[in-house]
Amino acid sequence: MAVLVVRDLRARYSAKGPEVLKGISFEVSEDDFFAIIGPSGAGKSTLVRCINRLVEPTAGEIHFNGQEITKLGRKQLRVLRRDIGMIFQEFNLVNRMSVMDNVLSGRLGYTGNLRTLFRAFPRRDIDHALQLLDRVGIADQVDKRADELSGGQRQRVGIARALMQDPKLLLLDEPTSSLDPKISREIMRLIKEMASEFKVPCLCNIHNVHLAMEFCNKIIGLQDGIKMFDGPTESMNEDKLNKIYAMEVL
Amino acid sequence: MNRPQGQSHRPEITYEKILQLRHRNWLVRSVVYVLMTAMMLWSVQVTIIADTDWERMGSIGNVMSSAARFVGIDWALFPNLIEPAIETFMIACLGTLLGVLICIPAAWFGAHNITPFKPVTYPIGRLLMTLSRSIHEIVWALFFVAAVGLGALPGIFAIAMRSVGFIAKMSAEAIEDIDVGPIEAIRATGANGFQVVLYGIVPQVLPQVLSVIIFEWEINIRRSAILGFVGAGGLGLVFFRQMNTFNYHGVTSVIIAILGIILVGEVVSYFTRKSVI
Repeated sequence: MAVLVVRDLRARYSAKGPEVLKGISFEVSEDDFFAIIGPSGAGKSTLVRCINRLVEPTAGEIHFNGQEITKLGRKQLRVLRRDIGMIFQEFNLVNRMSVMDNVLSGRLGYTGNLRTLFRAFPRRDIDHALQLLDRVGIADQVDKRADELSGGQRQRVGIARALMQDPKLLLLDEPTSSLDPKISREIMRLIKEMASEFKVPCLCNIHNVHLAMEFCNKIIGLQDGIKMFDGPTESMNEDKLNKIYAMEVL
Repeated sequence: MNRPQGQSHRPEITYEKILQLRHRNWLVRSVVYVLMTAMMLWSVQVTIIADTDWERMGSIGNVMSSAARFVGIDWALFPNLIEPAIETFMIACLGTLLGVLICIPAAWFGAHNITPFKPVTYPIGRLLMTLSRSIHEIVWALFFVAAVGLGALPGIFAIAMRSVGFIAKMSAEAIEDIDVGPIEAIRATGANGFQVVLYGIVPQVLPQVLSVIIFEWEINIRRSAILGFVGAGGLGLVFFRQMNTFNYHGVTSVIIAILGIILVGEVVSYFTRKSVI
């Protein structure tokens, strides 16, 4: 069953600016690890950000578990965002806060303003955070400040923060582009394990085609805001890749 | 060698041309010098020669002996200075604190990346900052003395209003320079605006803002020391009274006391700022 259905999605950053997404449609199913590949500037990041409306799409529909995301009001949008975890290229942790507080920030959507002010998260959130930190392999770093960690460790915090939301969909925006090849593979493997353990479908925008082929079961290829390929990983081949990346040579 | 095209079109510069240019330069410079000298002489004539009460000043000896009245310390006054010194200190502390509270909306409005409704709120924020800084603390104090009467309270208000500009401007600039990544991440969790500010913005700007606040507090000690001149409490008030009763040694004592608390403020500020950054 399709968890996420995107139809004819269009986006531009300013009224007169160029259209970044030119009518993209695809479907993500319950157990998909979905890759979005394509050259720089193809609109991959924009596409992922349109799903939780960090970028406002200009036209099109996004259906998520029966809700039409593009029609939601501000408050409804916040409630929806609680169900969509996101992992970023630059980790986007709050550097001056502890690892624990960063992971707990995944619960902000469920936390009142007063509790937020005093960072007084419920006991079960803290227990859950400890469990997740242990699961992603950095239980010993709980009290460190986020900027004391290495890149790979920071991304593990990012993964724990996203899972803290109990998400029903994970958006991954180039999760490994700031990491070296070995750590990249470790992080992808970890995300994949966690995704199947928590039964969360993933939509992963990824630059590295080899990682996409290795870890993802479906791929869409973007080129200049247009979908050039959509299908299971097995049907992807050298010719189609060359076509998707043709623009980059020019 | 292929040269950049522009070079071949450069006008020919000859020896005569350079001399010509220099000559013109020299002319302009002489005119400026003559004008400046004339203006200076005119100022001296108007503000010093014509405007000074030469008879009241008397001879050089008179001037020296007038100045010498300040040499010497009224030791008996010091016990009476403790309370005003503490008051000065308190005016600075409370004034800074109140100023910080006013800064929160001012910085929020005046930082272009988070201002709630840019066409309206941004100018309001910036206007508050400019207004606060372009009015001298003595003028603010006069205003508040007229509004709420003599005492420490108008001093606190004056210090607060004068502090808003600098703290809010520096804070707004710190906010404008933040990394937007964490903000995006916090928003993506479903956090509301308040939570985004608290988790995404405050931790990023806090060290800078604290450092600015401490710096401003140190300056505010200096400011509150003189606010008494216009009736707003503290050491300045004692200074004013000693001057009015012609107790010049007492004036010197107050100056020493002011120097003392400023030094204390500087030392405290240095160490707290070091621990914050």
